[in-house]
Amino acid sequence: MARYAMVMDTRRCIGCHSCTVACKVRNELPTDMVYNPVTTDGPHGTFPNLNMRFLPLLCMHCDNSPCVDACPTGASIQAKNGIVHVEDKKCVGCLSCIMACPYGARYHNHETGAVNKCNFCLDRVEEGLRPHCVETCHQHARIFGDLDDKNSEVSKLISENKAVQLLPELNTDPCVFYIY
Amino acid sequence: MIGKVDLTQEGVEVKKSACYFCHQNCGVLAYVKDDKVLAIEGDPEFPTNQGGLCCRGNIALKHLDHPDRVNYPLKRVGKRGEGKWEQIPWDQAISEISAKLSSIRKEFGAEAVATAGGTQRTDDWSRRRFMNLFGSPNGFHNSHLCWIPTFMVETAIYGWCPFDLDIGGSKCIVLWGQNPGASGMPEAHHVAELQEKGLKVIVIDPRFTESASKADLWLPLRPGSDLALALAWIHVIIYEGLMDQEFVMEYTEGFEALAEHVVDFSPEWAAERTWLTPEQIRAGAHMYAMNKPGNIQWGTSVDQIGKPAGATMHARALLRALTGNLDCPGADLLTGPSQDYLTDEELEGNQFLPEEQKAKQIGADKFPMVTWPGYSKICELTKKTWGKVPTAEWMCEAHPPSVFRAIINSDPYPVKALLVSATNPLASYGETNVVLEALRKIDFMVVCDYWVTPSAMFADYIMPIAGALERPIITNSYGCADFMLTAQRAIKPMYERRNDFNFWRDLGVALGQEENWPWKTVEEAYFSAIAPIGHAVSTFDEFVENVRFHFPEREYFKYKRQGFATPSGKVELYSSTLKDLGLPPLPEYVGPSENEIDNPELAEKFPLVLTTGGGFMPFHHSEHFQIKDMRFLRHTPFMDINPATAKEMSIEDGDWVWIETARGRMKQRANLTEAIHPKVIFTQRCWWYPEKDMRDFEFGGELGGALESNGNILTSTADDYCDPYSGSWANRGLLCRVYKVKESDLKEVI
Amino acid sequence: MSEKHQSWGWMLAVDFFFAGMGGAMLVIASVIDLFIAPGQVSLLGNLVGPLCMCVGCGFLVLELGRPLQAWRVFMNPKAILTFGAWMMTFAIISGFVYASFAINHSLIFWREWDFLRQLLALVNIVTGLVVATYPGVLLGRHKGRPFWVGPGIMGLFLLSSMVTALALHCLCAMIAPIEASVLNSLPKLLAALLLVQGLLWAGYLWIKATGTTAAESASAKRWISGDLAKGFRIYFLLVGTLVPMIMFLIPVSIFQGLAALMVLFGGVIMRMQTVTSGNDRTFLPGELQYRSRLPQGKEKFLKKAWM
Repeated sequence: MARYAMVMDTRRCIGCHSCTVACKVRNELPTDMVYNPVTTDGPHGTFPNLNMRFLPLLCMHCDNSPCVDACPTGASIQAKNGIVHVEDKKCVGCLSCIMACPYGARYHNHETGAVNKCNFCLDRVEEGLRPHCVETCHQHARIFGDLDDKNSEVSKLISENKAVQLLPELNTDPCVFYIY
Repeated sequence: MIGKVDLTQEGVEVKKSACYFCHQNCGVLAYVKDDKVLAIEGDPEFPTNQGGLCCRGNIALKHLDHPDRVNYPLKRVGKRGEGKWEQIPWDQAISEISAKLSSIRKEFGAEAVATAGGTQRTDDWSRRRFMNLFGSPNGFHNSHLCWIPTFMVETAIYGWCPFDLDIGGSKCIVLWGQNPGASGMPEAHHVAELQEKGLKVIVIDPRFTESASKADLWLPLRPGSDLALALAWIHVIIYEGLMDQEFVMEYTEGFEALAEHVVDFSPEWAAERTWLTPEQIRAGAHMYAMNKPGNIQWGTSVDQIGKPAGATMHARALLRALTGNLDCPGADLLTGPSQDYLTDEELEGNQFLPEEQKAKQIGADKFPMVTWPGYSKICELTKKTWGKVPTAEWMCEAHPPSVFRAIINSDPYPVKALLVSATNPLASYGETNVVLEALRKIDFMVVCDYWVTPSAMFADYIMPIAGALERPIITNSYGCADFMLTAQRAIKPMYERRNDFNFWRDLGVALGQEENWPWKTVEEAYFSAIAPIGHAVSTFDEFVENVRFHFPEREYFKYKRQGFATPSGKVELYSSTLKDLGLPPLPEYVGPSENEIDNPELAEKFPLVLTTGGGFMPFHHSEHFQIKDMRFLRHTPFMDINPATAKEMSIEDGDWVWIETARGRMKQRANLTEAIHPKVIFTQRCWWYPEKDMRDFEFGGELGGALESNGNILTSTADDYCDPYSGSWANRGLLCRVYKVKESDLKEVI
Repeated sequence: MSEKHQSWGWMLAVDFFFAGMGGAMLVIASVIDLFIAPGQVSLLGNLVGPLCMCVGCGFLVLELGRPLQAWRVFMNPKAILTFGAWMMTFAIISGFVYASFAINHSLIFWREWDFLRQLLALVNIVTGLVVATYPGVLLGRHKGRPFWVGPGIMGLFLLSSMVTALALHCLCAMIAPIEASVLNSLPKLLAALLLVQGLLWAGYLWIKATGTTAAESASAKRWISGDLAKGFRIYFLLVGTLVPMIMFLIPVSIFQGLAALMVLFGGVIMRMQTVTSGNDRTFLPGELQYRSRLPQGKEKFLKKAWM
């Protein structure tokens, strides 16, 4: 069984927001829903001695996912391949998962009342395709693949670089890794 | 699957289309069924984007059938600016417009009809063809702010202008006032990849941009002071002996004169003018000159600094020549025009414009470089060496600010009609207040556009134009590169939209030009352009489907075979062409358009330095403010100000502030950031608010907010602010002041 | 559109208030019954307890994005909310049946069955305690919500539930008095608990403000000197805690009745502020600026029929 993961190579990300828009448009999300924010970390320092990087965010598909635990209806589930997603018809919109997620990766859909989130473009992944945000990235700053396959690009990138997870102190064990 | 669309369903065709939201024209695969586009994605086989699409590219379907799109010809029925329109058939519009143009020509001469263009996302060779056949030399674009002066000045010095970087073999790239991180995605990814392999990247930019944050060396110079930096680099390269001796000896002329000319332009001299340290300046010169081969990538900023623009391009070109970074592997290539297909110029019909009409071109007497005097001279030289010449559209244009002023004051003669294509002049041309006065005053105006822009509110007719996915595309850098990328229509234009080609052709036919318009459709015209390449195809569509790209075999060191396209056949460090045109043969120092050294009194009133800046994601120029998914990411304009400066004025992050120059003031929100020098202000440009009432103020409207946050309120187009080479005006390096918007003045813009 | 719709709202705070208070009312009534003054059940107070929980449930359902599907919250035994929902259901049933013992009517044929009453009292204590405690547990387990995280909030919520439950019992006893000496001594206990409440909150904020992470400290600053300071200092601490504390010590019914109402008011305010405080996450680098610059929902362009 695959264990899907994403690597964000912040050395390459230029903060162009293409992933944000591709995700919104291709997944036909409501205007106010942003699964893929790209934040600007910086510039830190004092002019002209500065550094800055861009941080593409999305659902971290945590191995130890607080959102799944918090869901009272069982709508939030983690598939065997690690992808955390919401079964829309079971969701009552209690927002427990939104509150439980430390990464702000879940959104209340005001049109349907349910909570929506990034699902790594589950339908595409099942067809062997890559998520839209990865597909659209000119910079190849987002790399998607199987963590269980030691020869996959993600596995190699993680082992060859000091890839880190966000908020590791929370023990959520995210499957999104950042290379700084 | 793309979103909820199943691409495997029956009847889905894949069309090889391209993005049409900037002129990179990234490859797009369009999934089409029953002439409807179901979904799009980046084309992984396209050489530039390789499957990637930026914000703009991704919204094509939102753009295609947006509720605000102009879908039918509209005729003004109310007063100018009142926003009352009547929908009429295309043919009726064409016949009424042609009748009006005809009568203007009769009364005032053909030159009384001018056309304004925007970016290169049009079939503008056909616009030029129409104007040539009609007899008017007064077509123009914003091209003065975008590469065209650079092309002409560099061509004067070494016979063509490098647009192709042989970046794969490069060791150093200078991004001079360019931020591919926000503007050119394909370039940004090449740079990132090569940087991992050791490419050195120098970014020259007042702002700590996306690109600067990844650079090996960032030179945050005072906006508009690029010339001092370029001259100091020349000084360092010559006096520290870093030039390519062999190349300079063998293939250039005028070295002695240049060496003497720059003797005083030391890094110490430049430091005061650029706000860089001499060490920073030397470090840059060393990095570029000692990591060979190297590239200097053009960015629009130098084209936009006004008075010193031409001299800066001139000096920058000399850097390439001194280091021998011309047409050798890994350096900046002089491809010349394509020898294999018809260039845009060959479709323009420049032979049709009579000499006496060329002489009437507005601005030609003041700014020779991108008007008929300079263009004719350049054509003579390039024809001899390359056998072909650059396009006239873009390279040879009336001076836009002078045309707007001629509309207002009939000097040098009356201009009565303005045909506007793919531009919103109120947002994108300099000195908005002058443009506004001209648009209010013009007798007859036609706008070809996707939207009813604030400028279109003054039109007599608005013509619906086919956009992304609805038109075939040839991409070859204004017809000045030797390669070609092509794309087909994914679908027929929706509603009554047509290509702008159809507008110009139909208008031409209505005015009796039919015999000179051999092609009935754009595809026919494009087929005639690609036919000489010699593929066994019978239509343009077939070419796209089977061939799609044309990359001729790369030939380096062409100058060894044919010389440079200059009078001497060498790189003219001392330019005889510029001298003949009455311009300085060597780049003479000129300070920024407004600066504290030359204009101390002005600097007292306006103590900060302004740049109205370049592109920023997710928008392109003045476009896309009505695409909700993009607007959501940036719904209000932000200007950059250093926190220390902001503190002095009690400005907090997110506050609305006025930015004011001698021309006027506009408001944006403060982004407090260390990314900018405490004395520099960066504003976003071209903002307008399509959600606002579009009518002119006298009818109770807000003119789409075109005067509220628009960077061009601040820019200057006065003749003495313009570059004497090309006439490009000053968007950057101006003096300004900044202060908080009072609560009472803040009509909520959002 | 705006971030405010992306987190729990005031209705959930009101649910926490009513449910916690209702649960604690059951606990108080049952403890008195079992251990202090057997059989001394106040009809009104005992009925109001489960009623409060019902009202809480009502608000909880309204807070849902899909209220008609509310039954689904019983479905995930691992989720604390599911556990809470079941416990609240048991408490409500048990509470109502328990309350029925005080109804002097022949239809209530079981009103003499002391054993059942005592059993129900026991169930009331267990489930009521859970209901009064679990909102605090729920919040305290939110790793990414700096103001809530940790066990402290559990104690504060439980205490507030107890205090408000006592206050409401007092009020009930005033409206429908029974000759119960136990209830008459409650005001003093209440005053003491209010003092504890004031001290614990001061301690909680102090610990958070000087706490382990910058995010915790920032979240406490909102209460100490930021946008929540007024609500905390004036409405909760002064009006909802200290003033009623003093008023409870004055043995005048009208004062004590008023004081009880003020305590309830303080309890609602505290929960609303606490829930609001949960909007602050441990934001990722650059995230706060990113989100603060997104439209908040009132922007004109959002109203356009654009795509």
